[in-house]
Amino acid sequence: MTTLEAARAVGPGLDRVDAPMKTTGRAPYPNDFSLPGMVHACLVHSTIAAGRVRAIDTTAAETAPGVLAVITHLTAPQLERGPMTLLGPSPPAPLQGDRILHYGQHLAVVVAASPEQARHAAGLVRVDYEPAEPLLDLHDPRAAVVTNPWGLDSDRGDIAAGFAAADVVVGGSYTTPDNTNNPLGLMSTVAAWNGDSLTVHDSTQWPHNVRTTLAAVFKIPESNVRVLAPYVGGGFGAGLRVWPHVILTVLAAREVGKPVKLVLTRPEMFTAVGHRPYSAQQIRIGATRTGELTAIEHEGVSPVAMDDDDYEPVSACSAVSYACPNVRTRDRQVRLNIPCPGSMRAPAEGQGNFALESAIDELAHELGIDPLELRLRNYAEEHPLLGLPWSSKALRECYLQGAERFGWSRRDPRPGSMRDGRWLIGYGLAGVSYPHYQVPCQARASLHRDGSADVRSAATDIGTGTYTIITQLSAELLGLDVSRVHFDLGDSDMPYAPQAGGSGLTGALAGAVHAACRRLVQEFLDVVRDDPDSPLRGAALDDVAVSQGRIHRIGNPDQGESYTDILTRHGLEELSADGRSTPPQPDAAGMATAGAFGAKFVEVRVDPDLGLLRVTRVVSAIDGGRILNEKTATSQIVGGTVGGIGQAMFEETATDAGTGRIANATFGDYLVPVNADVPDMEVIFVGGPDRATPVGTKGVGEIGLVGVAAAVANAVHHATGRRIRSLPITIDQLML
Amino acid sequence: MDPFEYLRAADSDQAVAVVTEDPGTSYLAGGTTQLDLMKDGVLHPRRLVDITRLPLGGITHTESAVHVGALTTMEELAADPVVTERLPFVREALLLGASTQLRNMATIGGNLLQRARCRYFRDPTVPACNKRSPGSGCAAITGVHRMHAILGTSDHCIALHASDVAVPLTALDAVVHIQGVNGPRAVPLTRFYLPPGDTPHIENVLQHGELITAVEIPLLPRQARSHYIKVRDRVSYEFALVSAGVALVQEDGVIREARVGLGGVGTVPWRAWDAEDVLRDAPANAETFLAAARAALVGARPLPGTAFKIELAQRTLIRTLETVSGAEQ
Repeated sequence: MTTLEAARAVGPGLDRVDAPMKTTGRAPYPNDFSLPGMVHACLVHSTIAAGRVRAIDTTAAETAPGVLAVITHLTAPQLERGPMTLLGPSPPAPLQGDRILHYGQHLAVVVAASPEQARHAAGLVRVDYEPAEPLLDLHDPRAAVVTNPWGLDSDRGDIAAGFAAADVVVGGSYTTPDNTNNPLGLMSTVAAWNGDSLTVHDSTQWPHNVRTTLAAVFKIPESNVRVLAPYVGGGFGAGLRVWPHVILTVLAAREVGKPVKLVLTRPEMFTAVGHRPYSAQQIRIGATRTGELTAIEHEGVSPVAMDDDDYEPVSACSAVSYACPNVRTRDRQVRLNIPCPGSMRAPAEGQGNFALESAIDELAHELGIDPLELRLRNYAEEHPLLGLPWSSKALRECYLQGAERFGWSRRDPRPGSMRDGRWLIGYGLAGVSYPHYQVPCQARASLHRDGSADVRSAATDIGTGTYTIITQLSAELLGLDVSRVHFDLGDSDMPYAPQAGGSGLTGALAGAVHAACRRLVQEFLDVVRDDPDSPLRGAALDDVAVSQGRIHRIGNPDQGESYTDILTRHGLEELSADGRSTPPQPDAAGMATAGAFGAKFVEVRVDPDLGLLRVTRVVSAIDGGRILNEKTATSQIVGGTVGGIGQAMFEETATDAGTGRIANATFGDYLVPVNADVPDMEVIFVGGPDRATPVGTKGVGEIGLVGVAAAVANAVHHATGRRIRSLPITIDQLML
Repeated sequence: MDPFEYLRAADSDQAVAVVTEDPGTSYLAGGTTQLDLMKDGVLHPRRLVDITRLPLGGITHTESAVHVGALTTMEELAADPVVTERLPFVREALLLGASTQLRNMATIGGNLLQRARCRYFRDPTVPACNKRSPGSGCAAITGVHRMHAILGTSDHCIALHASDVAVPLTALDAVVHIQGVNGPRAVPLTRFYLPPGDTPHIENVLQHGELITAVEIPLLPRQARSHYIKVRDRVSYEFALVSAGVALVQEDGVIREARVGLGGVGTVPWRAWDAEDVLRDAPANAETFLAAARAALVGARPLPGTAFKIELAQRTLIRTLETVSGAEQ
């Protein structure tokens, strides 16, 4: 396996190729699509958390102006649940009975000529409930418990012996609240049937999954379904699944025989497209007086919906972050009458890291060892579970270079010792070892006679920069200027791509594009293999390099010719090639495939009288492997950091105890950081290309968020001496 | 949202007459509360009378007062040079409220009449809300009520009056000028709002159809100093957990005149009369400020989610007093 040579197009901060489209309003997001004859759908949902629909009166709605159809469980056809996916089972099919399992469950879809008419009519649907007592409390003894839901519970060494050998043991109970993904773009679906063929515009992070699911649910061939998502207004995981509202839009379009558009409301975004579930965690860490970890025990429990699944192994991070001989991790889920949780940026890691890195900080304080030094003393040189060397790991450099940039050495370790007038100042640190994730991906590359290239894959760019980095990578792999490369995505008719999720898309897509572009160059060499007029005659792929629209022999730039010359001389309009990537196999490679690593350094100010907390500086030092575009990668980390500040200080989805209603389902009531809450954020990238993949990238989509909450909490402890174990950290927790 | 009629008023008399005669007709000014509540299905006016083109804007000044037309926007009032110089805490409260976009739309009259931010009031799927549906109960008392009131509450309603600017205006004894079918009247802001009691749906003394035409803000003596502090969960674009607006006149370290308003704690913009009594003719020192802060919160009725507000409000008031008096540590 060879990695790419020194960067040319790749690396520097090329402006986003889609920026002009977005900034001039020409980028078509799903809810921008309008089709001839299109009508509009609006949902009716349950206002109780458990029970059944005794009766549903649609008379007034059906006779309201503009209404074309009102579909309820009484009139909906039987729909099968969507298929198993890479991310687990599909959500339950909508309108398949009178049973209510959570607040916000869709009970009807109203279709009308205008969105306003649909909304008005939806308000006229009267539901008569037979309520049951809902299970809403994680600690309710009646709730079903799922143990070891993902088979990731781990035992290493002898945990009891580890604690027995410890001179110091710290521990505590940590909680993280429900958070809601809340991409700015309201999730939207436009569905149009033409006979048995279906076209769908959808706010999805995974067009092929939408295609596969809709084909299965509506019993038509996959080839009859086309799903388009060229632009998506953010996702943070909310677009990873084919949620029931997508299926209802498609169903409505079939029922009324017209294209139908559905745009979720902001309150619906809190109940219909997943959320990061609450977590209750117990963690204990033991160490010797000199700071060698002897035991880590971490247990997490999260709620899950009654009839759905969610991947949240919150304790798993504790098994792989430190070189500790004795580790025990356990996860459980408790089934409650809640809207389906789902992945939200850094699922599980975002919760588990808060407990682990808070506890490490507490241990450092107890031992009187600098928190940075304690982390270095227990540095995991090998993957702690696999016992293999990492494919790359520059976490040490993250710590050291981040500390240098931040000025960590200025930290007086005594809590409350640093102040500026009324403000107490605190420095906090957290480390992150993000797991590797990759699944297969495909791409197709074409070179045209005019010397331009098209590259395609059915991936999505949810604001991450995928358009830009793959354009750059393709340009480099084909030896073209970026202006000559057109990368297209977001169409299920394109080669298969996995979801934009798990920080796994860039690695998978870059690998597929790498394969496609290399194979495309091989195609050109095949054409001229026996061509007496070609200076490349007989050349093998390893003999050549590409630059400035030409293939030439390595070390002899004059001995080569342009793509255009080859195509012209052979009477060809274009050549194309397909490529695919598969995840690296750790055992075969003799190394543990690494995800990104990071160190987060945070400065806070606390007004102890009024409980005011300000994050005033953040330095994120990230090992993201090979960085394809420093500007978009930095933006990913900055955006993740803002999300982390939100998790640390603001975001908490509140649920009413009796009804399961979301009590703050608006942007006025569910707080996210505003600009004034966000300080200067510095990002530095350390390390180099990862050895496990041809392009050497490691995903950076999620690591920006992880560790911020722990670093803020640790900085708060440094400032105040108060250990906050429950997020978000609010004024009432900080009034000293 | 239900369909409604829209009528642009030709003059104030017509507007008042049209609204007064029909309980289903409401005024429309900046619309920053009205339209939200209509979209959320809380308000269902049959007809809106747009008063934004009536000559009710503009700010005029006398030796003793600032006369603010009801349609003056929050931004306009904040930019007024006399307010800036003589009533800085009014300007501060204005600029700490809402967002620039909202402040450019929202009017002073409308600000005083803004409705509760309570999510149980604003969600018609919640059956129990005495303010929206008299006699139905109060879901907030047993619900999520961190942003709710601790002063002036009743067993029927704990909704907060969330206006910032009303806090200093209450402290200043601002006067609300009102036009009705039977002519004009003037009501001091301190008597304008009604505590919820057992009629939380009645929030102020206005009869249906009465129109606020102006707010008259008395000026402070030239030597007065004032300040508004707003404590909230994020730095901007959020309502107060607690706030305090204080104006003091001091002579040789003794407080001669004190005006104290509290926000984030009251079902109405809260005038802290008892705190003023403590402060008046007392030395401007920590002991006085603590006594005033304690007096201000006497009678508070905290709930589990609002218990912290008593201490936070006292500390916020003390901080504001320290800042205004110049006794800040």
